[in-house]
Amino acid sequence: MGGMEKEVDGILVAAHELKAPLSVLRQLALGLPEMNAGGERMRSEMVSVSERAIKQVNDLTKIRRLEDGLFEMEPVAVRAVCDEVTQELQYLFSHNRRDLFIKYANRARLVTANRDLLYSVVYNFLLNAMHYSGEGTRAELIVRDVHDKVKVTVRDYGPTLPMDVWREMKRGWVEKPTSIAMRPGSSGLGLYIASRFSRYMDAKVGAVRHRDGTSFYVELPVSKQASLFG
Amino acid sequence: MIYVVDDDEIMAECIARACTGRGEVQIFTNAIEAMQAMGDGELPDLIFLDILLVGPDGFTFLNEMVSYPDTVKVPVVVVTSLDLAEKDLVGYGVVGVLKKEKMTPQEIKAYAEKYCG
Repeated sequence: MGGMEKEVDGILVAAHELKAPLSVLRQLALGLPEMNAGGERMRSEMVSVSERAIKQVNDLTKIRRLEDGLFEMEPVAVRAVCDEVTQELQYLFSHNRRDLFIKYANRARLVTANRDLLYSVVYNFLLNAMHYSGEGTRAELIVRDVHDKVKVTVRDYGPTLPMDVWREMKRGWVEKPTSIAMRPGSSGLGLYIASRFSRYMDAKVGAVRHRDGTSFYVELPVSKQASLFG
Repeated sequence: MIYVVDDDEIMAECIARACTGRGEVQIFTNAIEAMQAMGDGELPDLIFLDILLVGPDGFTFLNEMVSYPDTVKVPVVVVTSLDLAEKDLVGYGVVGVLKKEKMTPQEIKAYAEKYCG
């Protein structure tokens, strides 16, 4: 068995191992009787944390399926995907007292991608930004055209990305989750997932280091199929 | 009566709790005990069934269910983390599929009310 296969199998095992207790945790949280305001907040956090963890675990299982090429590439409406992700995460941003600024400046509507994978890329970027933006600050989601591509950028105002991680991102390929001991408090799992999914979609990922934070982006090719009608 | 067949006891208890007020709920942590209980006593009105069980799995259990004229009529809701579609299980008397990581107590309760109301 090759190193890559070992890594993938390890991820698969970890994913399945984590899924069951996380599902139980979520059920427990949903089943908690409402005690008081504090209890309700705790309940919300339990549900939220477990749902996010389950999503990451599901993404890890998808990584194994990337090998089989099971994810179809198709014309995908970028704004619709971003709208859906931001809608899902809006509660989390509000709950943690972060603002989410969204700007759509793109004319091209459709890109060639896999909808589920793109959803996960944007989701992981935003979750990362939420995590690293300080209380009262904001994260930004900006979608714009760059030549024949649509660029989705997520900017945070947290600590600047370490140079070694930035180099990995610049190369367009994050090796494995453990290699990115990113910024404090993160396993870098979300970035690893985003990197793998983007690579599958032939999309370019990268990061820009700012003095006051980091931008992560993915560039997706405009759908040629859709442009025939446009 | 409702059967919950799941080798994860805490998950089984969560499901049972969601069915509160809909009659007696019996928890089984393996398929063999659940089949034996059906053979010994009255049939349940509804079964919540996990698929990845220790010992005979949920599919084996479903195969047994459709092998007898009385048990084939018992509605089964599959509760699983696997990617299973209801349409793939209709032949087994499965009336619903709940994903463990997404289901809510309300969804569980809705099945209990529908079949044990």
